[in-house]
Amino acid sequence: MAQLLEQFINGLVLGGIYALIAVGYTMVYGIIQLINFAHGEIFMFGAYLALMLITVFNIPFWIAVPASMLLCAMLGMLIDLVAYRPLRDAPRLSALITAIGISLVLQNLARMIWSARPRLFPTETLPAFLVSEVNMQTGEILNAIPLPGGGVLPYRDVCILLLAVVLMIALNRLIYLTKIGKAMRACAQNRVASNLMGIKTNQVIAVTFAIGSALGAIAGIMVGLSENITPTMGYYKGVAAFAAAVLGGIGNITGAMLGGIIIGLAEVFGAGYISGGYRLAIAYIIMIAVIVIRPSGLFGKSTGTRA
Amino acid sequence: MKDKLTPKNIILGLLICFLPLLMYGIDDIVDFLSRSDIYLGWPGGEYMLRIIVRACVYMLLAVGLNIVCGFTGLLDLGYVCFYLIGGYTAGILMARLGVSYWVALPLAVLHGTAWGLLRGAPTLRLTGDYFAIVTFGFAELFFRIIRNEQWLVGAPNGQLRGIPSPTLFGITFNQNWHNYYHILILLTLVIFITYRLQHSRVGRAWVAIREDEQAAESMGINVSRYKSLAFAVSAAIGALGGAFIAQFQVNISAPFFEFWESILILCMVVLGGMGSIRGAMIGAAILGSLGEVLRPGFIIPYQFGNARYLIFGIILILLMRFRPSGLSLKKA
Repeated sequence: MAQLLEQFINGLVLGGIYALIAVGYTMVYGIIQLINFAHGEIFMFGAYLALMLITVFNIPFWIAVPASMLLCAMLGMLIDLVAYRPLRDAPRLSALITAIGISLVLQNLARMIWSARPRLFPTETLPAFLVSEVNMQTGEILNAIPLPGGGVLPYRDVCILLLAVVLMIALNRLIYLTKIGKAMRACAQNRVASNLMGIKTNQVIAVTFAIGSALGAIAGIMVGLSENITPTMGYYKGVAAFAAAVLGGIGNITGAMLGGIIIGLAEVFGAGYISGGYRLAIAYIIMIAVIVIRPSGLFGKSTGTRA
Repeated sequence: MKDKLTPKNIILGLLICFLPLLMYGIDDIVDFLSRSDIYLGWPGGEYMLRIIVRACVYMLLAVGLNIVCGFTGLLDLGYVCFYLIGGYTAGILMARLGVSYWVALPLAVLHGTAWGLLRGAPTLRLTGDYFAIVTFGFAELFFRIIRNEQWLVGAPNGQLRGIPSPTLFGITFNQNWHNYYHILILLTLVIFITYRLQHSRVGRAWVAIREDEQAAESMGINVSRYKSLAFAVSAAIGALGGAFIAQFQVNISAPFFEFWESILILCMVVLGGMGSIRGAMIGAAILGSLGEVLRPGFIIPYQFGNARYLIFGIILILLMRFRPSGLSLKKA
């Protein structure tokens, strides 16, 4: 029972991270109907950039996190400007292949810059409460809330989950209450008509890329707090997050958030109770099942050929 | 076909037919030079022949992928899964069950075809994006199955060892030049079939689907049926390549069929120009041999790792931006 609760919380935390990444996929798809394969790589860059800012430039953690988000937002806008904007009216196959190309370039660039060696944030650079380690003398686990039944809930996971929820609510408010949010929704409905109504669509798309990339970057840092940072993490986590976006109905932001939670829980429970070797495959299986049964996703409008 | 019989083509044909002789000739020259203390660091003929055979396999795969990506205009991100299915079907049948290659080969092709149809089926009524996602998911899934299911392969990580070479009339085809003619025959067959398909009613229907699916449907083309046909033919060719490579490599393992391999094949098709058989072959020849040259430690220092994929990525981006028709002369 204690294990179940612990697994459940792990799943929620992972799901929160997936939700943050999935939002980036779904927002871009909603506006320009492009599967931005490079988004997973931006997520990976977020982790690496924060790590580099901390270890190489000795910047404190609290400044490194927003700095990394800002850098990734710029990276996202740069990718849009250089690679996707010239292909806006080209066949969709061209843009998809470009996205694959960007993903390849970024992943291998990371491998060249930071090598394929798995890395962690050095514990001494992190704020103390984010590091939950076992006290060797007493055997108790520091910086964690004891759970009924013997498990523990590290403060780190609480922070990740809270931050993910706060960011999600903020994003939701941004999209439904602000002017830029309204412009984004208009572009998602009909880009040409929005342009005719005086909305600068290219700017709106750039802002979409920036927001998605910044959220991806912070998700990358969250993963880096508990897992190894590797050049391929963007590829693996990115696909799972993409599955979350498909599950929630691609183009639907609330759907992506809930989809993320479901995929996170499914992955943790699947790995725990079915087979660890198929941990990463669970997301693919869910994704294919969704496409077979209900391509518009759990929360998307059913429009026949696409969500 | 008469105007194709130009001196240039005859020379090219003769060169293709007698390439192994040439390679073994190089071997003799290398031998002679190294004996006379002039060492060029030139790779031996056997080694080069192996690279050429592998490049031919890539040509086969590129021609197969071109059917779905080039003719029908759907992005297939998991073509390697048919390569894997073909390789492991033939490999397991031959190495573990002792089936003859000549039986295992058609079975592997059939198995691949079945999965090609199954994989495409859920996306028939959806846009190409969903097809790309499903293909990607399938490739990863098969990769995981091969890595995890030890009862199937017999060893962890999909290691399948000692796949026997095919035998016919008491001759065992295990030499590199055997394999060269073997793949040459398969490749010729595949090109012939694909070429005939391209210039038939079927090929025109595929291109019509690529250009405008709705218009094609309203002109009376059964889109689902022709798409399925494209998936099946493409998968069959992939599985054929896999079955060949299984006996050629003797030992295969899961990393051989990783996701990036599909991207490499896609890159070949895009480089050569999507929708052109000749383009796919030229792309495969260039990247197939370039991939060998750009392996870590040869030109690129080891610490940069697999930088060739960085180069492939740049090739993809630049081509899409400046020359979507690839190296082929046809305007896209």
